[in-house]
This record gives sequence, structure tokens and C-alpha cells, in this order.
Amino acid sequence: MTKTTDKKRNQGYFNRETTKKMLWRYLWIGCLLSLGLEFFVHRKSHFGAQGIDGMFGFFAVLGFASCLLFILLAKLLGLVVKKSEDYYDA
Amino acid sequence: MMLSLPPAFYFIFAAIILPFLPKRLRNIIVVGLPLGVFYVISQLSDSLTFTLPFLNIDLSLLRIDKLSKAFGYIFCLSSFAAFVFGYHIKKPYEFMAALLYIGSALGVVFAGDLLSLYLFWEVMAIGSAVLIFMGTGKHASKAGYRYLLVHIFGGLVLLAGIILYAVQTGSLAFNGFETVTMATSLILVGFLINAAAVPFSTWLPDAYPESTVMGGVILSAYTSKTAVYTLIRGFAGWEILIAIGCLMAIYGIIYALLENDIRRVLAYSIVNQVGFMVCAVGIGSKLALAGAVAHAFCHIIYKGLLWMSAGAVIHQTGKHRFTDLGGLYKAMPFTLLFGFIGALAIAAPFTSGFVSKTLIIIATEKAHLFVPWLILEGTSAAVFIIAGIKFPYFIFFGENKSVKSKEAPKTMLIAMGILASLCIYIGCFPKKLYDLLPYSDIVLKTLPSQFYEIYIHHFSHVVVRMQLLFFSILLFFLFLPLFKKTNTLSLDFDWVYRKGGRFLYGCLDKTLNGLNSFIDHLVVKKGVKTCADFSQQAPAILTWAVLKPLYLDNEKAKEIVYKRVKNNHLSVSLPALAFLAMLTYFIYHQLF
Repeated sequence: MTKTTDKKRNQGYFNRETTKKMLWRYLWIGCLLSLGLEFFVHRKSHFGAQGIDGMFGFFAVLGFASCLLFILLAKLLGLVVKKSEDYYDA
Repeated sequence: MMLSLPPAFYFIFAAIILPFLPKRLRNIIVVGLPLGVFYVISQLSDSLTFTLPFLNIDLSLLRIDKLSKAFGYIFCLSSFAAFVFGYHIKKPYEFMAALLYIGSALGVVFAGDLLSLYLFWEVMAIGSAVLIFMGTGKHASKAGYRYLLVHIFGGLVLLAGIILYAVQTGSLAFNGFETVTMATSLILVGFLINAAAVPFSTWLPDAYPESTVMGGVILSAYTSKTAVYTLIRGFAGWEILIAIGCLMAIYGIIYALLENDIRRVLAYSIVNQVGFMVCAVGIGSKLALAGAVAHAFCHIIYKGLLWMSAGAVIHQTGKHRFTDLGGLYKAMPFTLLFGFIGALAIAAPFTSGFVSKTLIIIATEKAHLFVPWLILEGTSAAVFIIAGIKFPYFIFFGENKSVKSKEAPKTMLIAMGILASLCIYIGCFPKKLYDLLPYSDIVLKTLPSQFYEIYIHHFSHVVVRMQLLFFSILLFFLFLPLFKKTNTLSLDFDWVYRKGGRFLYGCLDKTLNGLNSFIDHLVVKKGVKTCADFSQQAPAILTWAVLKPLYLDNEKAKEIVYKRVKNNHLSVSLPALAFLAMLTYFIYHQLF
């Protein structure tokens, strides 16, 4: 019991599983809240009446998809351009 | 009278006298100077000019308008914070280089003609290169040389453009260029090299992270932003800049994702953010230009803050790789707090990036540029998770690497506190910033500037921004393993001159030195030896050539002749006989 308490104390607040779970919960709440709030605001497209940016949840998808796209692009490029740190010294 | 001097002079004068000042006074002066110059700039009226005769040309060193003043203000503010951050520095040389660099950046901003702009442009390159050479890392001097070479090249391109332009138009005036000519194209390339535009971008992430801790903070602000200023002044509405800006925004993101050095990630995100400004310049509408200035203003503040937090971590731990850092939140809570505010200020509501980026985004909407708009929105979410979430996460949280560290010195925290406060203040009350911008009347007419209007009345804008950010954060934590860093470097455009340079050297080495050794072999080793042998054996060869028919090609006789010649025992009679024989043959041939 004492050992567990000591371990918890040494781990630090942000390394505890309970904190991590709580932060995950807040993150999901934040995501859902930002989506849900869109029901209560008036929003229109800036690129014509039927513009894609006027669709519900467009910015949520954009945020998620663009970051995913850039990560995949970077991973792909990384296969070619990543070299060991002494590449230029050799 | 004092107030009508160009602001650059104060900084350059301070750089000259600094080593002669008492030690205690030095640091106080460098901190106080930017505030004084800030006041001076605020007092400059638009009608003021300052000319200096140089080679039969009157250099115009003072052009006052809202554009130059806005950049003047932010340069002073950021240098004030940077000098507070570097207050612990005892030796004057770093301050001298920084003052020279900042002074010349102010010189560029207030320059009224192309020649004076060029002169300050070159001094700026020298001042900034010194800041890189002062870095203590093992790669600092090599990176400094590369930086200097790129900027000398950029400066020469700019000079060539200016000379051509002056010859063609007979004018050195620096106003908006309208036609595409060789001269204006060269000037544009010269400016774009300093703006770190792709493919001339690699000097920035190559060199800045090698600088000192304070040097990095200072470097992050001036070179690329003076370039943005010159682009606004000279190339507003040049559509190619929209494409270049978008390319910079994407390039900055992808390379920042690959990078392991904490300051290099920030360097790539500078390229990304300058891309926003370059794109705005390309759009060229009044709103877009005001947006470029506003974003340069805010970007200098929050990126300076992020460089400070990275610098404080390096200063305290001596480590600069993500793979060596982690779990510092307990040891450096205030650095984390301020760094996090800087991170939020990239795009989050209630911070400066939120209001300045909105200007550029709205300008793209109004110009109906859907693809650039999509790229800017997408990269603004991505840069937020890279420089905003990933950067603090891997340093302060993440895997605990048991790095021993203490909180940053007080002066560093004060500097970060100043910039963090500015980030939040501008984000909540942007009217003060909007008032400073060129075309501020149009900005104020188009955008809300009061807190209530921004965050309550236009709540829909806050909601979409929250969606963008929350879902990008969600992606970050869902795909966290994909963000894991490796001890690698990424090949970039500088490969062309780093490896290409060596290849060229190798080619020249092989060709020229090969030719050299071939000639050496042919002339020195073979030719000379043959000549020497010939001259030594000439009498024998000649004698034998003549006597050969007489002795009927007798080998023994030949041996005797050669031996006698070699031992110098050849009797005079033999060559004489040979000569006589030759003469007889000649006469016989002539007569019959």
C-alpha cells in the first residue's frame, strides 16, 4: 500500500492514469461541445450559397483530415529524406 | 532634431559604444534603448525625411507611413523582450551583433529608396551571421558560413536587380513595382530569399537553431519579417506570391513534422507562418495587406515567446532534441505556462493569432480564393498541433526522461511574461493593433474589434475555430505514436549545395587534379627523364645511328659504343668518324 502511494507521488500528476483518463474525457467533451454549439449559431458559406464550408461540422472534419493528411505526407516523405544525424558529416 | 534621426542610427550607435561602457550600464542600456526608440517612432510625423549624401546620390533614410511605423513598433517591442530575456549575458559582443542586426532591420523598414535599403540589407546579414557564429554547438560555424553564403548570394541578386532597375528607369525609388521585368524579378527573388520562400527556405531552419539562446529569439523576428515588409511595399498583388505562400505553408508543416530538434521545429513553423503573410501579399487587397502586417506583428510576438521557452529549456538542460527531453513540467512550470500561451497564440481564441490570422483568412474569402483558403485553414490547424501541442507535449509532458533541471532565471520568465501578456491582450482587445495597421479604416469597417463583438456577437466564428482546434488535438492524441521522434535529420533543399557543393568540389578535384597529375606524369616524370636520358645518351645514339650500317647492326659493337659513351671513354675519333660518314653521305646524295 505504502509502495503504491510512493509510486503515485513520484509519478507526478500528469503521468497518473486517472489524470490521463480525465484529460481524455475533457478532450472528447470539448470536441462534442464545439460540434454541438454549431446547432445554436447561424453560419453561412463564404464561397457561394452551396459552398462546402457552410456544411455542418466542416471545420471539425477539416481540422482532423488536414492534420492526418499532413502526417501521412510527412511519413511518406520521411521514407526518402530521413537520414542519420551525421549524414552531412560523413 | 534628435527625433528626426532614422531609428536605425540609435541601435547602430549603441552597438558601437557598447564595449566602452561600464559593465553594469551595458545591460540596462540595451533593455532601455528599444523602449526609447519605440517612443521616438511614435513621435515621427509622416512629413519627416532624412537624406545622406553618398556617391552623388542622396540616400533617403526616413520614410514614415503606417506601414513602416507598424514594423518599427514591433521590432522595438520584440527587441525589448529579447534583451530582457538575455539580461544574464555578461559579454557585450552578442548584444553588439544583436543591436547591429536589429538596427539595420529598422534601417530597411524606414529606407526610402532601393540603395539605402540594400545597404541596410547587407549589414543585417552580417549582424545576424555573427549571432549564428556565436552559437556553441559543433555545427554553428558551418551553419553560419552557409547562412552567410546564401545571404551574400541573395544580396547580390537584389543588387543586380536594383542596378538594372536604376538603369532602366533612372530611379531608385522603392514603391510598388507594376511590370514584370528582369530587374523587378531579380529584386523579387532577392526579397524571397530573405523571406525563406521555397526553395530558398533552408537557410532558416539550418542556421537559426544553431544560434545562441538569445540569438535564436532575436533571429526569429527580423530577417523574414523585413522581407515581408519589402514584399508588401514592392510586390502587393503579384499573384505568384499566393502560390509561393501556400507552398511555404505546406512545406513548413511537413518538415516540422519530421524534425527532432526543438528549435528547428519552430524554425520550420516560421516558414509556414511567413507563407501566410506572403500569400496575403499576393492577394494584394487592402484587407490582405493589413492582414499581412497584423500577422507579422502577432507572429513576431508569439514565435518570439515560443523561441524563448525553447531557449530557456536548452539553457537549463543543455539538451535540444525531443528524444532527449520530456516530463519537465514539474521542474519548469512557468516556462511551460508561458510557452503554452505562445502555443495557443498561434490560432486559439482570446490570443493574438486568432485575430491576425482571421484577417488573412477573410481576405482570401473576399477574394474568392477557395484553394488558398483551404490550404491556409488546413495548415493553421496543423501548425497549431505541431508548434502548439506537440512542442510543449514532448518537452514538458510525454515520457519522463529524468532530465535534471531548474526553472528558468527570473529575467527569462519576465521576458516571457511580457510577450505572453501581449498575446492575450491583443487577442482580447485587437483595436489597438488594428489602429496601427495600414488601411486601418477598412479593417475596422470589415472586422469586429471590441471584445464583445468578437467573442459574443460573432460567436459562430469562435465555434468553427474551436472545432478546427479541438479535432486537430484529438487527432494528435489518437495518432500519438505517429508523432514519435527519431534521431534523424531530413534532407532538404540545402542538399543541393551541401552535397552538391561537395560533388562539384569532387568533380573539380578529380578533373583538375587528374589533369595536373597526368601532365606531371607526362612532362616531369616521363618527359624530363626522356630528355635527360636522351641528352646523356645522345652522342651514343647519334654515333650508333651513323655507324650502324658500317658495323652491319652488330650487337656487340653497339654495346661497346654505348658503354664507352656511358663511361665517358668514347674516343673523339668515333663521333668524328660518324660525322665524316654523315658528311660523305650528304655530299654523295647531293651530287648524284
